[in-house]
Amino acid sequence: MIHKFSVRSAGIAEPDIRELGRSWELDDLEVWRDYYVEFEGEPAPAALDEVAGVLGDQLDVVVSVDQPLEPGDVQVAYKRGVVDNESDSIVTVCGLLGVRARAGKVATTYRSASPRLRDLVASTRFNATIEELHDSEPHYDTLLPQGHYEPTVHFDLRGLDDAALAELGLAGGRNLSLAQMKHVRHIQESLGDEYVTEVLLEALDARWSDHCAHTTWKSLGGLLGKLIDAAKDVANPNVLSMFHDNAGVWDFYDGHAIAIKAETHNGPSAISGYFGQLTKLGGVLRDILGTGLSADPIGSFEYTAVGEPEAPAPIKGRPDARRLAGETIRAIKEYGNTFGVPMMSSRMTFHPAYRAKPFALGGSIGLLPVSAAQRGTPRPGDFVVLIGGLTGNEGIHGASASSAGATMDTTAVQIGAPLEQVKFRKALIELREEGCLSALTDVGGAGLNSAVGEIGEACGVWINTALVPLKTAALPMWRILLSESQERMLLAVPPEHQERAKKILDRHMVRSTVIGRFADTGRYHVFHAPDLTEDALIAAAPDAVPAHQGETGFDVPYELLDIEVERQEVGPPPRPSGVPAWPSLAPAELAGLLEQVVSDAEVASQHYADSQYDSTVQGHTWYGPHYGTEQSVRTAYWAGTPVAGSPAAAVLNTAFNPWLFEADPVAATRQMFCAAIAGQVLAGVAVRDICMCDNFYTPHLSENWREWLVGMVDELAGLVRHFGVPLISGKDSSAGSVHTDEGLVSVPPAVFLSALGKVPHRDGLLREQWTAQDNVLVHIGLSTASPVGTVAGRKLGLTSGALDDLDLSDVDSYLAALASSRNLLRSGARIGAGGVAAALAQGVLASGIGVRLESATTESLFAEHRVGAVVEVAQADVDRLPAELNPVVLGALVPGAGILLDGTDLFTPAARDGWLNSFTARIA
Amino acid sequence: MKPTVNVLYLPGTNCQEETVAAFAAVGATPRLRFAADLLAGAERLDDADILCIPGGFSFGDHLGAGAVAGALLRSHLADQFETCRTRPLIGICNGFQIAVRGGCFGKVGLKVNSSGTFRNEENQRHVVDEENDSPWLTGLGGQTLVFPCAHGEGRFHPDSTGAEYRVALRYEKESNPDGSFDNIAGITSLDGLSFGLMDHPERAVDREVRLAFFENGVRAVR
Repeated sequence: MIHKFSVRSAGIAEPDIRELGRSWELDDLEVWRDYYVEFEGEPAPAALDEVAGVLGDQLDVVVSVDQPLEPGDVQVAYKRGVVDNESDSIVTVCGLLGVRARAGKVATTYRSASPRLRDLVASTRFNATIEELHDSEPHYDTLLPQGHYEPTVHFDLRGLDDAALAELGLAGGRNLSLAQMKHVRHIQESLGDEYVTEVLLEALDARWSDHCAHTTWKSLGGLLGKLIDAAKDVANPNVLSMFHDNAGVWDFYDGHAIAIKAETHNGPSAISGYFGQLTKLGGVLRDILGTGLSADPIGSFEYTAVGEPEAPAPIKGRPDARRLAGETIRAIKEYGNTFGVPMMSSRMTFHPAYRAKPFALGGSIGLLPVSAAQRGTPRPGDFVVLIGGLTGNEGIHGASASSAGATMDTTAVQIGAPLEQVKFRKALIELREEGCLSALTDVGGAGLNSAVGEIGEACGVWINTALVPLKTAALPMWRILLSESQERMLLAVPPEHQERAKKILDRHMVRSTVIGRFADTGRYHVFHAPDLTEDALIAAAPDAVPAHQGETGFDVPYELLDIEVERQEVGPPPRPSGVPAWPSLAPAELAGLLEQVVSDAEVASQHYADSQYDSTVQGHTWYGPHYGTEQSVRTAYWAGTPVAGSPAAAVLNTAFNPWLFEADPVAATRQMFCAAIAGQVLAGVAVRDICMCDNFYTPHLSENWREWLVGMVDELAGLVRHFGVPLISGKDSSAGSVHTDEGLVSVPPAVFLSALGKVPHRDGLLREQWTAQDNVLVHIGLSTASPVGTVAGRKLGLTSGALDDLDLSDVDSYLAALASSRNLLRSGARIGAGGVAAALAQGVLASGIGVRLESATTESLFAEHRVGAVVEVAQADVDRLPAELNPVVLGALVPGAGILLDGTDLFTPAARDGWLNSFTARIA
Repeated sequence: MKPTVNVLYLPGTNCQEETVAAFAAVGATPRLRFAADLLAGAERLDDADILCIPGGFSFGDHLGAGAVAGALLRSHLADQFETCRTRPLIGICNGFQIAVRGGCFGKVGLKVNSSGTFRNEENQRHVVDEENDSPWLTGLGGQTLVFPCAHGEGRFHPDSTGAEYRVALRYEKESNPDGSFDNIAGITSLDGLSFGLMDHPERAVDREVRLAFFENGVRAVR
């Protein structure tokens, strides 16, 4: 029996609802939650009252039972096949009250007399991908999602011609090429089978996708191999693990290590900003959990680029940039805060190239013992244990479709449930400490197929998909295998530790199921046998092959699963030439330009977003992500002291600027790499103690995209060798071109760099806040004076031309001088977007101290000298700064809070207001 | 014998480690109490000198912040929780929300922040009430303590039918991050034994501030 509980405000609407009413201009807007609960049998009226009592246990809240929607009401609920994350909690609460419930469902209802209500809800609060909109009370026969098992379809490929093979490769949403289909036929012939199954086709579609197999990078000459070779050549002793686990691992201090990883969820985020961004953070946190024998996430970072918020979506029905921005903030807030990991750095960019497919990057670092830093290896006989969330019909074709670019279907969106991940986070650490794990990995892109297939490659593996706990009553075998339901991990547990592991997982209330076994076969074997129970599997001898294998999905030697990728030769990319000159501007004009620059989203306060992310949970944040005694200004780096009782600090910063990559991806790669290192050294990190993580996001249909990609990778490999700063982790997303209603839209070829450093003592880190009046501000560093790609250059229309070349020997000299003269620096701020002027403005805002400039030009204020800084030194120390720093005195710190030039305060009240409010005004 | 502290660890709790570290730093013996063990009767909630309900998002904050956990404390663990309330008890953030739902402070509410969303303030300033003689606040009256704020549903809202709480902390004027009534940032029960606050002293950078409340609580049961 299903009952409905509507939980409504009894008095004044809550602030978030009032704000929504204001933005919709509906004074009478009412919004509330409806909880549908499916009970086992008809509960007594008193029991219903008790459930209502818990749901309404808040001041000024009333609960009504079984009140249907009224005419004009609009209700939004997940589609019937989607399981609400809150279902488990509803069942739990009922159980605590002694009422037996089977399932729950949550809906949001909107009420207003306005005839505009339905359109407003449908256009801003409804995602047709996963939700349904009700104008009248919905009828549910059951809240348990239905589903059924379908016997797998068989295909005999031996007699098919190329056209038929190609057609089959693309059928049902697959993206298998003709060459790949021919290899599938080769597998069938090699095995001597009468047919292959749909399960095998789907499994190989995912395995050979760009997402999983990096086919684009392989086709262009083993690009990943170039980066790995460069890192190996460097032989930095801090590298404990690189590019062969879920994250790279960097040595820390005293037997501890730090894992770093970033990844993107660009495709899903284009469809649902909320779920795409939710799962990007969840996914990368799971990568950290699945590194070595499990690392504990100690920080997260995120970067999002969407189109201009004022522009409509270029594809009808897709969310526009403004909505994506809002959903991004909500998602990052909900996942990161719930998981309990401090936000180290977050930033949002508005750039038109990302209007069709955003750049949705999430990253994390995690702590683990050096002794657990290496990827584990399953042993034959170990159990395959699936833990965490249930498996549902979601995220299907996520890996292959995101690799294909434009043609993602709606089931490619995954539903995130952070609570599940919070539950198994500490359980994994306990399992690691108790020695219960041979290996583990996360279940992410391409679902179980990828996780089981990869982890089983060491020896061989078989699984029974009938044992996989489902959200639905049943699912076809291939969907169980390919589902990208989130918050799942796969463990290799030795038989002798299985019982202990189960107890630990139960204690943490983590669902766990033994679904198969690692075997000494060298084969990947998937079958569906409902009569092979978990108990029978556990009781069987370690090397026993199940007698009843039900229906076979596939049983293939691993060596047949690899496929050669055709190599493409490319030449050098075309490099732009000619650097436009900065115009000469009078002080009043400089003030006007400063207002525009500090109001740009690249410089302006994003406090509206940042202030929604918990940055202090875990209690080890030492510096960042904000500073300032007056205004809260974003720091250029974050530092944390994650080891209890130790002053050793991890330091994280990032480098990315899409306008630079738009101008010249190769030069931008060099500038960003050098900028990241310079930022770390300015903070106090030695060059040898820095590593990086790379995330390429490149187009696949724009002109010269291959040349640019190869050029960027070659440049990056050269930089790694030059500085001895290795890349230890990375991902490539090569599907940044989208056919839209406006035509082809491509992102610029670009790479996001995340740098991780370490220092033995936190007290040596240099802060950004100005410390005292009368000290002197000095611009140091190399000149990258081209206006191209700068914020001010965009405001002045100086957008085409070349970027500056950086001479790496000059960078070496600068870094060495910087490291040797840090004792002279009272504070130091890295120069980034907005140039020296933005650094000064943020210094004023943070400290409440002003600066009197000795002189200034448009170039000296607004050029973005990215391998440089504005440092504060005592008057007496100015002459002691080494010449290799290229020091240029800007002016003295003075009372007041302005930027004074020839009697004019360049930092006007309008500029301050723009810095403070412009970002919020564009998206909120 | 070191004072013992039971730290309630629920599915979704995520501030337990810094909280345990704070209690350990002031000489107590903190131990996690898992919900599964409590429900199974394998462990008890009331076998320590102090009960701490740390921050997080218990049960995902599904059905309302602290709602499921509050129901747990009022149903299966009601007797044990009642015993805990006769000793020092501290609820931080989600723990405060749970303690409110558990009935520690009478009819008060912690509602959605006035901004309508989560607020993170790294250096939130709090003034300790000078009149409250709760053991958790000993020697701190009138002091301004800086520690992080990080919550979405912390707008303190009293019921009009009569106070069953005493003010413990107020946000410094002009810096109320959640719109709480009368800038109230934390309260105690009338007997002072139960202390609830939305913000996070256990995360403070300054060691003295970080440990101040915990030191008081532990001193009270030595």
